[in-house]
Amino acid sequence: MLEVRQVRGGHDRADVLHAVSLDIAPGETLALLGPNGAGKSTLMAALSGTLARRSGTIRLDGEDISSLPSHLIVSRGLALVPEGRHMFSPFTVADNLRLGAIRLPQPTRARLAERHEFVFGLFPRLAERRSQLAGTLSGGEQQMVAIARALMSSPRMLLLDEPFLGLAPRVVEEIHQALDALRSTGLAMLLVEQKLDIALTFARRACVMVKGRIVLEASSAELAARDDLGELYFKLARAATRG
Amino acid sequence: MQDLIELLISATAGGCIYALFALSYLVVLRPTGVINFAVGDWGTVAAFGGFLALSEAALPWPIGMAFVIIAAFGLGWLTERIAVRPLVERGAPVLAPILALLGMLVIFREAVSVAFGPDPRPIPQPFGYGRIEFGLLAASYQSIFIIGITASVFVGAWYFFERTLAGRSFEAVALDRRAAALMGINLRRVTSFAFGAGASIAALAALLLTPNTSAHYLMGIPLAIQGFTALVIGGVGRTEGALVGGIILALAEQLTMRYVPIAPGLVQGVPLLLLIIFLLVRPTGLLAARGASA
Repeated sequence: MLEVRQVRGGHDRADVLHAVSLDIAPGETLALLGPNGAGKSTLMAALSGTLARRSGTIRLDGEDISSLPSHLIVSRGLALVPEGRHMFSPFTVADNLRLGAIRLPQPTRARLAERHEFVFGLFPRLAERRSQLAGTLSGGEQQMVAIARALMSSPRMLLLDEPFLGLAPRVVEEIHQALDALRSTGLAMLLVEQKLDIALTFARRACVMVKGRIVLEASSAELAARDDLGELYFKLARAATRG
Repeated sequence: MQDLIELLISATAGGCIYALFALSYLVVLRPTGVINFAVGDWGTVAAFGGFLALSEAALPWPIGMAFVIIAAFGLGWLTERIAVRPLVERGAPVLAPILALLGMLVIFREAVSVAFGPDPRPIPQPFGYGRIEFGLLAASYQSIFIIGITASVFVGAWYFFERTLAGRSFEAVALDRRAAALMGINLRRVTSFAFGAGASIAALAALLLTPNTSAHYLMGIPLAIQGFTALVIGGVGRTEGALVGGIILALAEQLTMRYVPIAPGLVQGVPLLLLIIFLLVRPTGLLAARGASA
């Protein structure tokens, strides 16, 4: 589904990503773990076409998307829910969702209605709030809008950059359930997460990124069984510095 | 009384010209954050385009006007390609394109002066020099024409920004470039279109103004200042702000000229004075943006 090979790049001259490679199978959910500053969000920017400078190959269903601008990547079926939600705050929920559908293939009235129905089914609260300004919503509701907005383009691959960050446990649970429902539709997902416990219950396979490199790839069961889980990042970071 | 009403109407018409230049700033400023002082000289180039189309080629007004406005769209598009895109895509700070556009302003002005010389060139009145008198109401055809066209342009601009998906995506780019890109909004196309539309609006303003004043190669700078002042008075948050700001500025100018005993040349200081006052006292303009706390 998604094939990332030897991707390098960064926001200015210095590389943040050092030859990152990973694969995601159709319908698979992969967790991308790593400490703060590991380059996870930079990788998300590279995949979604918003990174200033990048090299290497990114293929989506076999098609090379590595040199496409971001708007064409969206229309190819890859959508990113960025860290920090990035609401269009003065716009209503409905307008935020409508903008999410700007690259919907064949945006007929029926198709739009179908997308709305889908995301409101996932997050019934948003249906009640559709004419409210996005900036007035709670953090959890904004995160729901951010996810729903990305889903409006009917993606085949969804990237989620720390969707649970700073949310109350009850809301985390609610969003977790929605993502489970999404997974059962066969949508491939890449979940970026700092907290191991959340990520490992959600994805079957995980990659750990440290200092711009994928340093470990394992099944969630394997990772969860390690007794050094608490200090894993620390150990891996030290190994990466030495190596 | 009739005299005062006529003064108010002609001041409103003048204000409409400023408002259109303010709108020209605004359509570029909204999605890109760039203040484009070349708007006045887009107007200059368009005014001489109008001279060629309407005076030299003697095309009928609607055709000549359409021709100039479409050509101006191309000029705006080209301006963006030459002076803005190469800088923005190399990650230059926002001041860089603003300075590059000041350079374009000089190029436009000097190109016009080389091509047409320093003499003013006349442009015919679309409806002749007639006047409407109706009770106390008295105004020239040209004033009515300017007010009518400007009103419809602002209704159109308001509708575009508030009610269409394309307009919303303009705003979205202004609010959050990254999120807009992630939605699939084509940032390049929005930027190109903003500059094209900005130049077309400036061209329209110049075509409405020059039948009264003639085209002159130095006409750009004062218009750029008046348009900018109108924008500052009205505030950049709302489309109507440009219209309100333009009309207030023109009324201030006209009433000062009529009732304050100063030399006529000093009236040119009125916009600058208002600009300073507003930047000091109310930098957000009269109309606050929606969703922003006042």
